[in-house]
Amino acid sequence: MIYQLSDNIISSLGFTSEENYAAVKEGVSGLKYYETAFDLPEGLMASCINDEALEDAFFSIKTKSKVLYTRFEKAAIVSAYRALEKTNINPAGDNVLFILSTTKGNVELLDRNKSKQYESERVYLWRSAQLISSFFGNPTEAVVVSNACISGAAAQITAMRLLKHSAYDFAVVIGADMLSKFVISGFQSFKSLSTEICKPFDKNRCGLNLGEAAATLIYGKSENENLIPEKSVMLLAGAIANDANHISGPSRTGAGLCIAIEKTIQHTNIQDIAFINAHGTATPYNDDMESMAITDTGLQALAVNSLKGFFGHTLGAAGVVETIISGKALSDNTILQCKGLEIQETVCPLNVLMKNESSNKTHFLKLLSGFGGCNAALLLRKK
Amino acid sequence: MDVTICSYCRLTNDKVVVNGMEIPIQKTEGPWLNDIYRSLKISYPKFFKMDNLSKAGFLASELLLKDEIIDKENPKKDISIVLMNRSASLDDDRMYQETIEDKNNYYPSPAVFVYTLPNIVNGEIAIRNKIMGETSFYISEAFSAEKIYNVAMDAFSDESISQVVCGWTDYELNKCDVLLLWIRKENQNGIPFNINNIYHLHI
Amino acid sequence: MEALILELKKEIIEVLNLEEIKPEDIDENAPLFGEGLGLDSIDALELIVLMEKNYGIKLNNASEGRDIFKSVRVMAEYIEKNRTK
Repeated sequence: MIYQLSDNIISSLGFTSEENYAAVKEGVSGLKYYETAFDLPEGLMASCINDEALEDAFFSIKTKSKVLYTRFEKAAIVSAYRALEKTNINPAGDNVLFILSTTKGNVELLDRNKSKQYESERVYLWRSAQLISSFFGNPTEAVVVSNACISGAAAQITAMRLLKHSAYDFAVVIGADMLSKFVISGFQSFKSLSTEICKPFDKNRCGLNLGEAAATLIYGKSENENLIPEKSVMLLAGAIANDANHISGPSRTGAGLCIAIEKTIQHTNIQDIAFINAHGTATPYNDDMESMAITDTGLQALAVNSLKGFFGHTLGAAGVVETIISGKALSDNTILQCKGLEIQETVCPLNVLMKNESSNKTHFLKLLSGFGGCNAALLLRKK
Repeated sequence: MDVTICSYCRLTNDKVVVNGMEIPIQKTEGPWLNDIYRSLKISYPKFFKMDNLSKAGFLASELLLKDEIIDKENPKKDISIVLMNRSASLDDDRMYQETIEDKNNYYPSPAVFVYTLPNIVNGEIAIRNKIMGETSFYISEAFSAEKIYNVAMDAFSDESISQVVCGWTDYELNKCDVLLLWIRKENQNGIPFNINNIYHLHI
Repeated sequence: MEALILELKKEIIEVLNLEEIKPEDIDENAPLFGEGLGLDSIDALELIVLMEKNYGIKLNNASEGRDIFKSVRVMAEYIEKNRTK
């Protein structure tokens, strides 16, 4: 059994998972309109981590390290630190493995004006991962997963596999991505951003919002479910499948997502699934595609939500952030509303929630899709 | 579990080697990867839209799978593509940065941006061959036969997967370093898939 | 107009990396998308950049482009009427 021991989220909604979950449950969105940001010609609706709060949180950690960390690395370190401090795991032990999920890491350092203080190697993802894991004195080389928007799910699947058949007892899965002129301008060039709060699964949805976050999930393993702490969430299964359709996204029909879902739920009674936490980016194509995949796999009666209206799309962090929030909701016997949704309309009709509901079912399904045509599904269960 | 390397392709700045045999490439003054494309006599116009990392991975996959995947149309759910490199998509990232760096010449290019993720190369290979299994990308400071072995073997933990395209696909600052392997579950004709053999095929 | 059409064909070949196509291979009256050149949604977005960069014409979304990118001739006519550079 692979189960969650601890977690943390650093986002615009707070610096602990509990703060983030409480805000989401209250219906508070972390998205804000920025007239001018990141030296961009256009305004932006986004969810950004407060700089001062991040600096304060970082400096409150006692460390002997003399390294000058980037904003991305600081957020990842603070998140992992806060998740670890709730446990009695020794992160310097050789039974602990760090797994970093990110799409763009320190990419902003490619900007000549921002790179001066840092050595040229800092744009490499493995370098950030080294600095993050060595901050905690961990002796093992960190695993870096960079699989577009499904990275956060891919990293959890990697953790599950490694824990099952290796000597590691704990995997510290960190998902992090910061916003930069690089990332935002690219999405703007795709014309895929909405300047209003995004509307997942809505008739008038017109694009996504970007967000930044660093989130950590610590997984452990146990042969015996009785030894797993009460209220803990277990990762039962996960799968990735490609659409082989177009590099700019999943197929219009959800073929790849169907395969990922089928593989993930094959040994599960659908009646036990409380909800599906969809990718729900609020682009016209993504949400239609998900509605088709959910319908084709026979899950259309289940409650569906998307958390993008709270956090925006946090890229490499999304899979971790959304798994944590959904896990908290599951343990709280709650199904969260889909913030931003007003009039539901997708190719195949879905049961997307506009208000929080209660449910004491035991499982939830997490979906993600991304560039390169990749799709992922995770199945989790509360103890 | 026994796994066999059924074919392999090594692609560097001056050589293309498939299953130990060097493939003759007609060199021109143009880009090396384009020379390889033309020598292979493939007709796939999308090739010219790819960034260097995708071009390199795509060409290696064409050579690797030439006799293995002849049917390009039917979906293949039993194949995964698991790749690794050092520089992620930095080669293309730098090109994209150039389109936004100058305020007076600020024209972010969607066609360049779309390649600023390393796993796009998995996507290109999947599209070409209609591969619908897992596609994953990992980053490592240096080539590691051990890591490639581990993530590729992990791909078989999905029981419906019987074949995997795996290896190292790196392209940065005009340096091309690709080793692609086509591996199958079970003991078959070919080279046993193990760390030592991966290491030697990369030399 | 004919000069603009030729210029546009050359620009399209360059920005869309249509390496094996020559200007004379493109029929200026034929649909740009859907058949022939095998262009996709990313190409359409790249043409939006071309319109702004080379002719100072700003298009806000891909659906505006759909009518303008019907054929090279339609594109050229639109540019002639709306160009700011």
